Amino acid sequence: MNTLNKLICPALALVLSAAVPNVVAETLLIKGGRVHTLAEAGTLPTGDVLIRDGRVEKVAPSIAVKADREIDARGKIVTPGVIAPVSEIGLVEIGAASSTNDYAVSGDSIGAAFDPLPAYNPKSTLIPFNRAGGVTRALVFPGIKMWGEGVGDPQRVFAGRSFAITLNGEFDSVVATDLAQKAYTGEAGSLLAGGSRANAIAKVRNALEEAREYRQNRDAIRSGQWRELNHSIDDLEALQPLIDGKQPLLLTANRASDIIAALDLARQFQLQLVILGAAEGWMVADRIAAAKVPVIIDAINNLPTAFESLGARLDNAALLQRAGVKVVISGPGYASTHNVYLARQSAGNAVAAGLPYEEALKSISRNVAEVFRIGGGSVEPGRVADLVIWSGDPLEVTSYAEAVLINGEPQSLVNRSTRLRDRYLKPQAGHEFGFKR
Amino acid sequence: MQHHFRCLAALLGAAILVTACGGDDSGDDKKQAKSFAQLDAFPSTYSIEQSKPVIIRNAIVLTGTGERLDNTDLVLEEGRIAKIGEKLRAPRDALEIDAKGKWVTPGLVDVHSHLGNYPAPAIESSQDGNEMTSPNTAEVWTEHSVWTQDPQFALALAGGVTTLQILPGSANLFGGRSVTLKNVPGRSVQDMKFPGAPYGLKMACGENPKRVYGGKGTAPSTRMGNVAGYRSAWIAASQYKEKWESYWENGGEAPERNLQLETLAGVLNDEILVHNHCYRGEEMAIMMDIAEEFDFEITAFHHAVEAYKVADLLAEQGVCAAMWADWWGFKHEAFDMTEANIAIVDQAGACAMIHSDSAIGIQHLNEEVAKAMTAGQRAGFDITPEYAVTWMTLNPARALGVEEETGSIEKGKMADVVLWSGNPFSVYSKAEKVFIDGELMFDLHDPARQPRSDFELGILNPEGERS
Repeated sequence: MNTLNKLICPALALVLSAAVPNVVAETLLIKGGRVHTLAEAGTLPTGDVLIRDGRVEKVAPSIAVKADREIDARGKIVTPGVIAPVSEIGLVEIGAASSTNDYAVSGDSIGAAFDPLPAYNPKSTLIPFNRAGGVTRALVFPGIKMWGEGVGDPQRVFAGRSFAITLNGEFDSVVATDLAQKAYTGEAGSLLAGGSRANAIAKVRNALEEAREYRQNRDAIRSGQWRELNHSIDDLEALQPLIDGKQPLLLTANRASDIIAALDLARQFQLQLVILGAAEGWMVADRIAAAKVPVIIDAINNLPTAFESLGARLDNAALLQRAGVKVVISGPGYASTHNVYLARQSAGNAVAAGLPYEEALKSISRNVAEVFRIGGGSVEPGRVADLVIWSGDPLEVTSYAEAVLINGEPQSLVNRSTRLRDRYLKPQAGHEFGFKR
Repeated sequence: MQHHFRCLAALLGAAILVTACGGDDSGDDKKQAKSFAQLDAFPSTYSIEQSKPVIIRNAIVLTGTGERLDNTDLVLEEGRIAKIGEKLRAPRDALEIDAKGKWVTPGLVDVHSHLGNYPAPAIESSQDGNEMTSPNTAEVWTEHSVWTQDPQFALALAGGVTTLQILPGSANLFGGRSVTLKNVPGRSVQDMKFPGAPYGLKMACGENPKRVYGGKGTAPSTRMGNVAGYRSAWIAASQYKEKWESYWENGGEAPERNLQLETLAGVLNDEILVHNHCYRGEEMAIMMDIAEEFDFEITAFHHAVEAYKVADLLAEQGVCAAMWADWWGFKHEAFDMTEANIAIVDQAGACAMIHSDSAIGIQHLNEEVAKAMTAGQRAGFDITPEYAVTWMTLNPARALGVEEETGSIEKGKMADVVLWSGNPFSVYSKAEKVFIDGELMFDLHDPARQPRSDFELGILNPEGERS
C-alpha cells in the first residue's frame, strides 16, 4: 500500500484532492464502510468500493488492490449520493429577491417551451451547501408563480423544461437536458386555469391534443396553412417527447380524485406520468401502482394545508410503497429549495412511519435516477461514482456527510454556513469581533 | 399543590408575572389595578385536572435543567411532578408505565407558532394572523384570531409540544399581543390559555414591515423608517404611561383608554414581554439600544438567523434568541445562516432556543434541536442531549415567563411530561405519551387519546376522522 496516499480519514482526502486540482485519480478505493449499494449486491456490512475514472468498478467485502488513493471508511456508512427530484437549484439565490429568481416567468404566454437552462448558475451558494448535506445530483425544474400580481394571466398550466445537474459547481455540471415537463392540476391548476381544476385538466388535454395535431400536420401548421391553435409552435415542439411517451410529465395532484383524473389523462395519451405531491396518494395507492406511475412526495408534510390535502399523513410513503408504488421523496417544501438535502430527514421520518429502511434510501437516490433516467443512485459496477460517506445512519438527524464524491472526485464540504461559523468562532486579524465565552 | 388550575391562575398569575419580568413582588390589588396588561379582560378558563396519579418507571430522564437521570421513576400527582427518584412507590390507583429503554423529557415549549391564527386548511377566510392595515397594530390581541379547531394543534401535541406561544404576524413594526397556550382541546381560546402567563408583544425588524408598507407608499419603506416608527410609538407610550401614573397617583379625571398605547405601556411597565422578529445582527443591536432609550426589556429575538454575530451582546443584555436549525435563503436577511447558530449563542452565555414558526417544524422540534446540537458538536462544543434539551424546554419557557411552572422535570412544577419511544434526538423516536398537568393528553397507541378537532370529523370518511 502506498502510504503516502493512504488516507486516514475523508477530511484528509479533501486536502489531498485540493492539492492536486484538475487531476482525476485513476483509481480510488473506499475501504471498510457499511455499503448500501441499493443494487443487487444489497448491503455489505463492511465492504470496499473501487472507483476507476469516475465510475464504480467493483464492490466487494474486500478488494485487494493498490489504488492511487484510499479513503478509510471504517465505522462509516457509504451510500449513493442524494438526488433531489425537484429543485430550483441554480435558478434562485434568495427567495424574496426577484432579481435572483429565474425559475418562473409571468406575463408571458410561453409555457411548455420555457427552458430555464440558460439561467442556470453553477456558482450558486445553494450548491456547496446542499452538497455538504450529501446531495450529488439534482433535477432542476421551472415553476409558475402562485402569488402576487398576474397569477393566472395568461392562463397556462405547463411550467416548462427541466435539466439535471451534478453538484460539483463546475460550469459544465449540467448532465442532462429536457428530462421532463411539469404541469399543474388540482388547486394550483385551478388557480392557473381560471378557477376550476377541471379546466386545468382540460388545458393539459388540449395541449396534448394540439401537440398530436401538430405532429401530424407540422408543415402546414408551420407555414400558416392551418387553423389557429391555442399553443405556440415552440410549445407544441416541446410537448412532442411527452406524446411520444419518451419524457415524463410531472403533474401536481394531491387530492385523491385529482390523482385519478391525472391517471386517466395518462392512460388516454399514453403518457409517462409522474405524480408530484400525492398528499392523498395512499387513498388510491392501488390505482397508482397498477398504472405503474411513480410519485414524488413531500413525506414530512402531514398538514391538511388545503382542502386538496386533507388526507395528508406521515405514513403516505409507507402505504404507497407497500402497494407497489415507486416512491420518490423530495426535500421538504417548507424548507424550500435551499435545503433540498433535508430529503433525508423526511425519509427518516417516513421510516419512523413504516417505510422500509432500504426503500427510504432508494426514495432519495436510486428511485430518482430511475424515474429521470440519469446517472447515480446506486453503488454498482459501471455506475457513476456519486457517493457519500456518512458519519452514521444517513437518515438520522445527528449524522452528516464526511465525504462527498461526484464522478469519483472528493468534493469540498466548505460552504457559507461553515465559513460564517468559523469566522465568528475564531476571530482573526481584521475580524476580531466574534465569539466570546 | 392542592389548587386546581383555575385557582392557580388567580393566585399565581401576578407572582409568575413578577418572576418573569423582574418587577417588585407586590401582588396586591393596588398593583393589579395599576396594570396596563388588562389580564382580566379574557381570563383563562383552563381546567385540565389529572384524573389519576401516574408513575413512570425506569426511564432515562432528561430533566431540562442539564441533567440526565437513568433508571428513574417519576410520580405525577394532582397535576404536578410529585416525586423523582429510584424505585418509587406507586400512589394508589396510579397509572403505571414501564419506561424501560424509553426516555422522558419535559413537555416541549414552542415560543413561536401560528397554530390557530394561521390554521389549516389555509384558506383565505381563516388567515387571521396579521392585521396588515397599519405598521402599528399593538392594539390587536392574537387570541381573538385563534381558531381552536385548528387540526394542527393535535399534530403538535403528537410531537410532544405542551406549551406554545401564538404570535401575530410580522408585517408590522408592532404586530399586537401574543398569547401563550397549553396544547389542550378547548371550545374557546380561554380554555387553552396558560394560567398566569404574561402577554407578549410581537415586534418586527427588517424586510417585512418596510416591504409591506413601503409597497403601499406609506412609512416605513426603509430600515431607518422602521426605527423611527418604533421610537415614535415608544414616545407616545411613555407619555400615556405617565398620564395614567399621574392619575393613579394624584387622582382627577381618568385619561382616555387607548388599546394600542395600553399594550406598549404594558411593556414599559414590565408586564408584557417583547418578542421581536429580527434577523440581522446590527438590527438586534439597534433594537437593544431602543430598549435602553425607553427603558424596557426585549425578552427574545425571534428568527435570529444572525444571533451568532452578536451573541456576546445578547448575553450582556440578557436577551434570548429563538432560532431555526437550518432555514435560510428565503430572504436577504436570512442569507447569513450557520447551522451552529444556536450552539454559538448558547455557548456565549446567552439564552438560546429552537422555535418553529411552522406547523411542520413544531411537530419535530426534537429533530431540529438534534441538528443544532450536532452542528454545535461539529463546531467543537461539548453539547450533550441533556444539555441541548433545554433549547426546546426550559429556555423557551423562560422566554414566555412561565419557567417557574413548566419547562423542566422538577418537583412541584406542572406535570408537563413527554415519554419518548427512544432517544428524543433520533429521527426514529416518537412521543408515545404526552402528559399535560399530569393528564394523559396523547397516547400513540390509543386512538381514544389522540385529540381530534371538530374539523376532522366526517372529513374524507363520513363515519371516521380525517385520516
